[in-house]
Parts: sequence; C-alpha cells; structure tokens
Amino acid sequence: MSVNAGLAHVSTDFMIAALLIYSLALLAFAGDYAFGRPRRKAMMAAAPVAERAAQLAAVGAASAGAVLEQSEPDTSGADAPGPDATGPAAGVGRPGLAAGPSARPVRPAGAFRAIAEAGPWIRAAATLSAVGILAHVVAVTTRGLAVHRAPWGDMYEFITALTCVAAIFFYYILVKYRAWAIGVFVMGAIVIALGLAETLIYTPAGPLVPALQSYWLSIHVTAMTLSSGIFFVAAVLGIMYLVAERYRKRVAAGKAEANPLLDRIPSGAQLDKLTYRAVVFGFPIWTFGVMAGAIWADQAWGRYWGWDPVETWAFITWVIYAAYLHARATGGWRGVRSHYIQLLGFASLLTNIFVIQIFVTGLHSYSGVQ
Amino acid sequence: MTDVHSTTSKAAPGPETADLDGEATRPFGTGPVEPTESGSGGASGASPTGAGWGRWAWRQLTSMRTALVLLFLLALGSVPGSILPQEGSDPAQVTQYFTSHPGIAPWLNRLGLFNVFAAPWFAAIYILLFASLVGCVVPRTFKLVGSARTPPPRAPRNLARLPQSVTYPSALSPDAAVDAAASVLGGQRFRLRRPAAGDAGHWLAAEKGYLREVGNLLFHLSLLGVLLSIALGGLFGYKADELVTQGQTFTDTNSQLAEFHPGRLVSGSDLAPFSLKLDNFSADYIDSGASIGQPSGFNATVTYTATPGGVAKNDDIQVNHPLSVDSDKVYLIGHGYAPEFKVTGPDGVAYDEATPFIPANPNTMLSDGVVKAASASLGFEGVFVPTAYMANGTTLESIFPAANNPEVSLIGYSGNLGLDSGVSQSVYQLDTSQMTEIPGGPHLMTPGSTWKLPGNLGSITYVGTAQWVSLAITYDPGQIPALVCGILAIAGLLLSFFIRRRRVFVRAVPGPDGVGSVVTVGGLTRTDASGGFEDEFASLAADIADVSSPSSPTAGPAAAADHQKPEPNNQSETGA
Repeated sequence: MSVNAGLAHVSTDFMIAALLIYSLALLAFAGDYAFGRPRRKAMMAAAPVAERAAQLAAVGAASAGAVLEQSEPDTSGADAPGPDATGPAAGVGRPGLAAGPSARPVRPAGAFRAIAEAGPWIRAAATLSAVGILAHVVAVTTRGLAVHRAPWGDMYEFITALTCVAAIFFYYILVKYRAWAIGVFVMGAIVIALGLAETLIYTPAGPLVPALQSYWLSIHVTAMTLSSGIFFVAAVLGIMYLVAERYRKRVAAGKAEANPLLDRIPSGAQLDKLTYRAVVFGFPIWTFGVMAGAIWADQAWGRYWGWDPVETWAFITWVIYAAYLHARATGGWRGVRSHYIQLLGFASLLTNIFVIQIFVTGLHSYSGVQ
Repeated sequence: MTDVHSTTSKAAPGPETADLDGEATRPFGTGPVEPTESGSGGASGASPTGAGWGRWAWRQLTSMRTALVLLFLLALGSVPGSILPQEGSDPAQVTQYFTSHPGIAPWLNRLGLFNVFAAPWFAAIYILLFASLVGCVVPRTFKLVGSARTPPPRAPRNLARLPQSVTYPSALSPDAAVDAAASVLGGQRFRLRRPAAGDAGHWLAAEKGYLREVGNLLFHLSLLGVLLSIALGGLFGYKADELVTQGQTFTDTNSQLAEFHPGRLVSGSDLAPFSLKLDNFSADYIDSGASIGQPSGFNATVTYTATPGGVAKNDDIQVNHPLSVDSDKVYLIGHGYAPEFKVTGPDGVAYDEATPFIPANPNTMLSDGVVKAASASLGFEGVFVPTAYMANGTTLESIFPAANNPEVSLIGYSGNLGLDSGVSQSVYQLDTSQMTEIPGGPHLMTPGSTWKLPGNLGSITYVGTAQWVSLAITYDPGQIPALVCGILAIAGLLLSFFIRRRRVFVRAVPGPDGVGSVVTVGGLTRTDASGGFEDEFASLAADIADVSSPSSPTAGPAAAADHQKPEPNNQSETGA
C-alpha cells in the first residue's frame, strides 16, 4: 500500500500547529506563574481530604446544599463565599470556617469547574492545551491513515506519539489534581521534545519493513509509547520534586532567599505522591509492552527473549523502575534518593531510544534516523 | 508490589501511623516485621552461633535493602551485554572484536563479558535476587492466610487523628448510628468488627482490600515462574539454523543442520523428524519514492512432511508468520542470493550448484561468496550484485536489492584448496595460501556467460541466480509456561497497584444534649498506590451520614427514613 501524500501533509501541518499551540499554552502557564494571583503553597488541591472535609464540613447544614451543587457549573459564588478569596484552586477551601459538629460530610466536588476558578491564565492555558492536544491527536491519526498502519513505526512517529500521550496524561493530572503549577514544566518539556522531533528527526511518511508488518506493532509499540509518555510526565514531576526539595531546604537553612516563583511549586510531598502514581500507572503498561514485544519477537525471530540490545535496555529500564517502587518502601531510600532512581529509569529509557536504537546495531534498528 | 520485602521502616512507624491509637498502629502490610539493625533478634546478636549467623545472613539477604542492591546490580550487569558483542547472538562479531582489540578482549572474555547473560556472576545476581524474593514471599503468604482469618483491629479511641476523618451530628442514637454505618460498609463488602461483649463504647471497625496482598504475592511468584520457564526452555528446548536454497530439501536431523544449539538435556534424537523443501522464495522491494529499495515483503513457499513418509503439505513462511510443525516452529530469519555456477576442469564438470553468497550490504544486497571446485583445483572469490551499476566505470556497485540486472565479479585461483588438510574451513572463505591467482580477474560475468580460464585450467559458467533463505527451527517447552506466568504477573501487578487495603472506623457518642449522637468516621490506608482513597473515603462518609442522619436537608429525609434506616444489627464479630 502506498502512502497517501495528502494526508501525510495534513499530519505534518497539524503537528506544527500542535507545537505552536503548546508553546502558547506554555506561555500562558508561565504567565500564571509570573502574574497570576499568588497561591500560597501552590495548591494542587489534592489537599488532603481530611482538611477539605473539615472545611467543607464547616459550611453548615444550610449551605451544604450549595456546596454540593457546586458540581453544577452555573452556581459559582452565588450564595457560597467566593472561592477566589483564598484561591485554593480546588474551589473547595472556604475562608473562615471552623470545623464543628454541626457539619456533615460532603462528596468531592467536580473537577473541570476548578479550571474556571483558577484565574484567566490557567483558563487560557488549559484551553490552549486542550486545543493543542486535539491538533496533536489529529496529526498522529492522519499520519496513521496516510500510511495505513499504527503511526509509530519509526523514531519520528514514536516521539510524536509519545509526546501526545504525555500531553494527554498531563492534562489528566492537571484536571484530576488541579496541578496548575506543574503545567509550565510538563508543557515545557513536551514543547522541547516535540520541537526536537520536528526539526532533528523528522522522517517522511513511509511504508514499513516486513519485520514490522504485524498487528503486534499496534500492541507492543502502543504499550511502549503509552508507558514512555507517562514516565515522561513522571520524570518531569521528579525533577520538580528535586528542585522544590532543594529550594525549601535551602530556604529553611537560611541559605537562600525566598523566591516567589519557586514558592509556587507544589510541596515535595504532593509531587512525590504524584510521581509515584504516575509510575504506578506506567509500570504495568511497560511490563505489558515488554511482554507483548516478547510474544512478537517469538513470532518474528523465533525466540521470545534474546537479549537484543533494545530488549536488554527495556529490561534495564524495567528493573530500575522496579527498584524505584521498592525504594519508596525502604527506610533511608524514600524521598530524594528514590527520585534519583526514578530519573535514572527515565534516563535508561531515553538511552534506549536515542543511543541504542540509533547507534547500536540490533534487530530493533528501525528508527529511520540517518 | 512495593513491599513484598519487609521494610525496616515498619519497626519505626512513619508519621502517619505514629499518630494512631491502639491496634490501628499495627502495620498494614502485615509483613514479617524485620528487626532493624539495632534491635535485631537476641540469639544471633549476643553469641553468634552457626545457626545465628545463618539467620543473620538470611535476614540480610531477604531485607529490602539487599533486594534493592541486587536490582541495581542486575540492571548494571546487563549493560555490557548490550554494548559488547555477545556469543549468543553474534559470535562472528565477537571474533572480530578479538582481532581488533587483541589487548583487552581476553580480559573481557575472562570476565564473561562476551556472554554476559550466561555468565556465572550474572546468574549469581539473579539467583540471589530470587532467593531474596522467596525469603520474603513465603512468610508473607502465611501472614496473608493468617490475616484473612482475623477480624480488623478495634477502632482507635480518637478517630479525628486518623489521616481521613469527619465528624457530624446524627439524630439516631449512638447504637443505631453505628448500625447504619455497618449496613453501608457491609453493603460495600467491608469486613466488619463490632465491640465484643465486654467492650465499651459504640464503634465499628471495617477493613477491605485483602486482594492487594494477594496480587503482590502473585506478581512475585509469577516472576519466579517466568525464570523457571526460561530454565525449562534452556534444558529441554533447542534451536537450529539452516540455510536452504531454492529447490533444496533438508531433513531436521542433527547431521543436516548447519548450526544446532541444543538445550542441556537434548540429544540429536529428540529432534522432530520433519523434512522441508524450499519451492520458491520471493522478496519484494519498494521501487520508487523516498524509501526506495526498502523491502516490503518476503515469502517462502515450502513443501514439508511432518514425519518420514507422511503426507506432504504446502505452506508459506513469512517474517511474522512462522510455520508450525508439531511442536517445532520454523522461522524465516534471513535471505540472500545464490548464483549458480558450473565449473569445468580438465577432467570435466567439477562443480555445478547454486552457491549461497552472504549479503555484505543488506540495503543493496551486494553479496560475497566463494566457489570451491576442489577436484579441478580451482577456487573463486566472488562479488554478486543484483542490480549492477558501474560507478566511475571502475567500481561495481549494486543500486537496488532485487535481481534486476545481476552480475558477478570473480577472482580465480588455482592450486590446492587445503580441504584435505584436516583443518575445518568455512564454506564462505577460500584459503588461498597454497593457490595462485589466475590472471584476468576480477572478471565480470552476466548470467549465461562463461569465463574461459587461461592455460587450459578449464572454465566457469555463471548459469543463473537462485535465492536462499535461512530458517530457524526452534522448540521451546518453556514458552507457554512463561506466557502464563507473564499474564499472571501483570494481573498480580494490577491487583497490588489498584486495590488499596483500607480501614474505616466509626465511633458514635451521645449528642451534647442527650438527643441523637455525634458520629466520627475515620479512615486510613497504607497502600494507596494509585491514589483515590481520599475520594472514596469522602463518598463513604457521605453515604454513612446519609443513612445515619436522616434529618439532613441533603439526604431527603423521607427517603432516608424510609429505606435507609437499618435494622439494629447485633452481630458482634463477623466477617462480612
């Protein structure tokens, strides 16, 4: 089957559009950092529910109804105290309310509403991110339609699909945990990765070599792309964690001035938890991807595991992430050390993509990068 | 999976559990509480006996720290296996490495770095790792069985100090409020515990998520299963490579196979006795556009009989489509050209066969090979190009991998080929040490042309071009067990990540003015890997409040009073 040149052009155009829109979203996230209302301790409103419930609980019988209704978008601030007053992005923290026995527990409030309440910069950034993701998905999809197969057959396609997954997973975290403050970092990393893919390793749409002509391409590479995209986000969160921890330690020790920008990075504990959850999400998918690859290798090459360089590095990456998961439960290895392990895991993932697949000859040499 | 290995942290509870009262501080993991370095068990610490040291060593081995170190070593040890050429996958490259790095290669070899994944030190790492794993998993399995039989711990006194808690007034009496909570939590399949006869107060303890630990254990045991499956394949499986040219037949016997890698417990007679004939092989290439010359499809048409004298069957073998013959599988793993030569010496035809040439450039299929006509004392080194192009009028190159314009360039030698010397020779190399070059080479030939050799040595005719394929015949009895274990491992992983072990406690005290009650709901989880306990707790607490406080404006008083009000429930200690 030949390549549909028209669709391939559409794909390229949309990819560049996605890159531009992401860049604008990045600017908006940065704008929120620079000019947004200060939010002390940078609320990822994953604020422990104990706290939340206590605040909510205090709203009292009469207004409890109003709080519940907040999941409806149109009741903002009508009869409830304006959530903007203290600005916890969750929109659930209310000022001046003390927990008391007159309260009752309330179900967690809706998530998208929080975006609307987080100020103009976040509104713009979230909207732009969503539009960018849409363009990105269109670009990846049309590339797949142009070549009549899953659009992750060469290195360029793999990176564009990986960043697409990262963007979607990022958006999920953004909305679920109201993690506005990670936007500038994650979006920044996505823009850089996608920009490099566009400029350095762009490969025109083309058909696949026979070894890749299998439905296992969709299964194996999809899983690897998904998990890599998720690990990508985890790595950015891990770097943020290290930055935040270092900064706060230095401030606490009096070695550094308080910096209003760095103050906005979420707390180490929150970032630590988010990172862990991202890895927990990505690790089973990676495991599945490696296994699917083994099944495919058995069909294509006559053995399910042969220590091909790329297989070896997928194994190394798996082992390091496993070490990270264990380290979090080991005294003396929690916190900073466990994050170094996690970043080492991502480094080995990158090594696999950019060093082993391109420079070491093996059965997986499909990158298409000259 | 994060805590199969017992952690030293459990001996020193983190801030989360330190706050809890009474039994709730019992660690959630229910793993064997590993003594910390300082407070290790008495016998071994005081007077180290042999058994004491053994216990100490075993404790060290099964500690999480050791497991971590072993994981790192495993990752680190794999690295050279991906950088240096490996005996297992590319022995020719290893030989070449020895030639190009004569100084360091023998040392690397002594360390087993050319066969990392079969090296003793590598085996030591993973065997220790799995021993460490077994040492943790087995005790924990017993613990799990034990904990499945015991009810949840009693409710702590001060629920407000739990990580999650909420307090609200209820119109129900304390007893009825706790009953209502029990009906909600019991309906959600929590295991419940109520105060026993002598216990004071109105409370309820509920626990859920035992499957998390089951998943954790399943994952680790399955990994062990994968290792055993690989060992099974290594002992009883085999792999053989065979090069077959078009029209040729081969039989799957020890003597016929070019390369045979049997498992430790396999002998030649264990091979499946099938025979296979390569009827035709076709390779398709993209002939235009950016990826010109890239292969687009390979197809080998074969006729095979599963047992001697059996029915002959036809099938196609393609790259992702192996042929199954009984429990063996036949894979297409390589291909190339086999130009057919006819060598005539002074005594007549000395050689007439298709000669496999090895691709030197896989993109253009420019290939090298040799012709050995020993009885005529003639040998030829050749270069085959499928689509010939004379660059600069002097250098023969191939510009396309398909045989569109095949040509062969030969250099002839006459003399002793050294085949009788007893030293084994590669069929792809010519030993010219006792031969003299025939003038006139390199001689360019097109199909059908004949090179009349000078000095009455004879002639060579390039008859035509056939193709060859290399087939891998494999039998791996560990394959299916490995697959099953792999699937179980993922199932275990998902269970251990996405099920959380959590406890919810409810306490009710009489209301301030003697009417109704004040209800506190508290909850905690130690293993909320995927997150979401906060939301679950909030929903549960809201559900409990709905049924235990029917006068509330949100719950719809009538509805709540109607069907939500639970019957008093006098069970004291039950598993729900």
